[in-house]
Amino acid sequence: MFSFRRVLFLAAGLASLVGAKSSTGNSVLVVVEPKRQDDFSIFYDGLRDQGYELTFRAPKDESPPVIEYDEAKFAHVVILASETKNFAKDITPQSLISLLDLETNLILGLSTKQTPLASLAPEFSLILPPPGTPLISYFPKREESPSLIPITPSKYDATEILNKDLPPVWFSGVPHAFGNNPLLVPILHAPAESFASEVDGGSADALVDAAEKGGEGLWAGSQLGIVTGFQALNGARVTWLGGVDLLTDELAQREVSNGVKSGNAQFARNVAAWTFKESLVLRIDKIEHHLVNATGPNEVYTTNDQLVYSIYISKYDPQKATWEPYSGIKDLQLEFTMLDPHIRSSLPPVPGAPGKYSTTFRAPDRHGVFKFVVDWKRKGWTYLHSSTTVPVVPPRHDGYPRFLSAAWPYYAGAISTSMAFFLFSAIWLAGEVQHGNKRAGKAGKTE
Amino acid sequence: MPPKAVHSSSASPTDAFTSLWKAYNDNTSNRLKFIDVFLFFLMLSGIVQFAYCVLVTNFPYNAFLAGFSSTVGQFVLAASLRSQVNPENKDEFREVSPERAFADFALGSIVLHFFVYNFLG
Repeated sequence: MFSFRRVLFLAAGLASLVGAKSSTGNSVLVVVEPKRQDDFSIFYDGLRDQGYELTFRAPKDESPPVIEYDEAKFAHVVILASETKNFAKDITPQSLISLLDLETNLILGLSTKQTPLASLAPEFSLILPPPGTPLISYFPKREESPSLIPITPSKYDATEILNKDLPPVWFSGVPHAFGNNPLLVPILHAPAESFASEVDGGSADALVDAAEKGGEGLWAGSQLGIVTGFQALNGARVTWLGGVDLLTDELAQREVSNGVKSGNAQFARNVAAWTFKESLVLRIDKIEHHLVNATGPNEVYTTNDQLVYSIYISKYDPQKATWEPYSGIKDLQLEFTMLDPHIRSSLPPVPGAPGKYSTTFRAPDRHGVFKFVVDWKRKGWTYLHSSTTVPVVPPRHDGYPRFLSAAWPYYAGAISTSMAFFLFSAIWLAGEVQHGNKRAGKAGKTE
Repeated sequence: MPPKAVHSSSASPTDAFTSLWKAYNDNTSNRLKFIDVFLFFLMLSGIVQFAYCVLVTNFPYNAFLAGFSSTVGQFVLAASLRSQVNPENKDEFREVSPERAFADFALGSIVLHFFVYNFLG
């Protein structure tokens, strides 16, 4: 009986190993207009190959609900219905924010139309151009319309998220400017010679006007983003697509130049891998702190103690669906904090111990309640935050050195006084005896 | 005595000191002189410790307090012993015999040193 249950557990564990390639779950809800559902089959197949289970839902369908009994029903939600203005009651900007709070990852599509999603984008510090102004570029010279642009990822794009040798990506949609939000992760920027404008007619005049005003009011240039991620403080990831056409089969199969297929399919894979927490996912396995030459942690440290702090970090490996020790972080820092960091030290990886980062430092000459703080926030990567509170106390009454060389005159003074007292007493008492004996003779002598 | 004092005051200061010294030597019993030697030693020791404290360091302060107060306390006890065993003060300390005075001195000193060593380290 027991062994049978164990085998069952093992089988379940193996099944989950094979199934889930994301670190958070493999259920995906795709919200898409029924008539466009078949346009994205290459994107769906890529997700299915990775082991995701797709559920489709039209924007106005009531079921399946995205949140049921305050629990997120799906681990990831993709909204490809970028031109839909009316969604079902449970897909609103507010409910999408609630999904983020429940650590659900989202891929959201924008379009030139004014939709609920477009009104949500400013909450993520993405500033959209006026409705009806897609991204346009007349370079490079090509047969396609100026609003369908091949974009080659540059070194300013998210090189850690995207494949190294990604062919140009076909894009059609709206760009956005970035607000001042540190949680944004720009994934793909617009080409330098592109701008947002109405496609048909009059655009040249508008351009001339804008150019005369020194570029004011012109949505142009490589500062604009077209695909941008956002990682919330709880680790949930959102990716905003400037246009969902990026994911279509048509653009995935279209050639960018003779014989070279576009990078759209690979780009979609990369973006989904990042958004669904397959890549750039780290976690803190455990932390340790102890005195130098000790093994276990102390509950209380003394001022000026030599302390050792170690942290173990793992990275998620989507190929094996396991967490592997990761020593690749070069800029990890440890802070020993009481209100302010009293000590801030680098936390280098320990050679020969995978995933372990360790440092040794002297506790400050200040007692109080301190915290070991590791706070590592880098664009695209999971945020690492660890805070451990330890009290630092002054030495105990018997923890100080007892006899100091500086005080030897005082010790000598006290000891010599005592010796002199004993000597004095001895001689005094001896004199008493002699005095008594010789009193008669002495008296005779003097008188 | 009075004419002698008048004579020495009219002479140079060194004469005054020598005559004071001579008078002390002549008029003080050996036992009182012995106490005076002890008092002198304690005074020197106290001065040295105080000078060290001021000029070098008062750290650790408790050691300074212990060492210095041991000399001062011992000085006070020895001085009271001296006044009690001095034959000239016999009228004042009628009920205190010299033996009783020494016993008080010894007991007081032992208590003093007990506190000093407690405070020293």
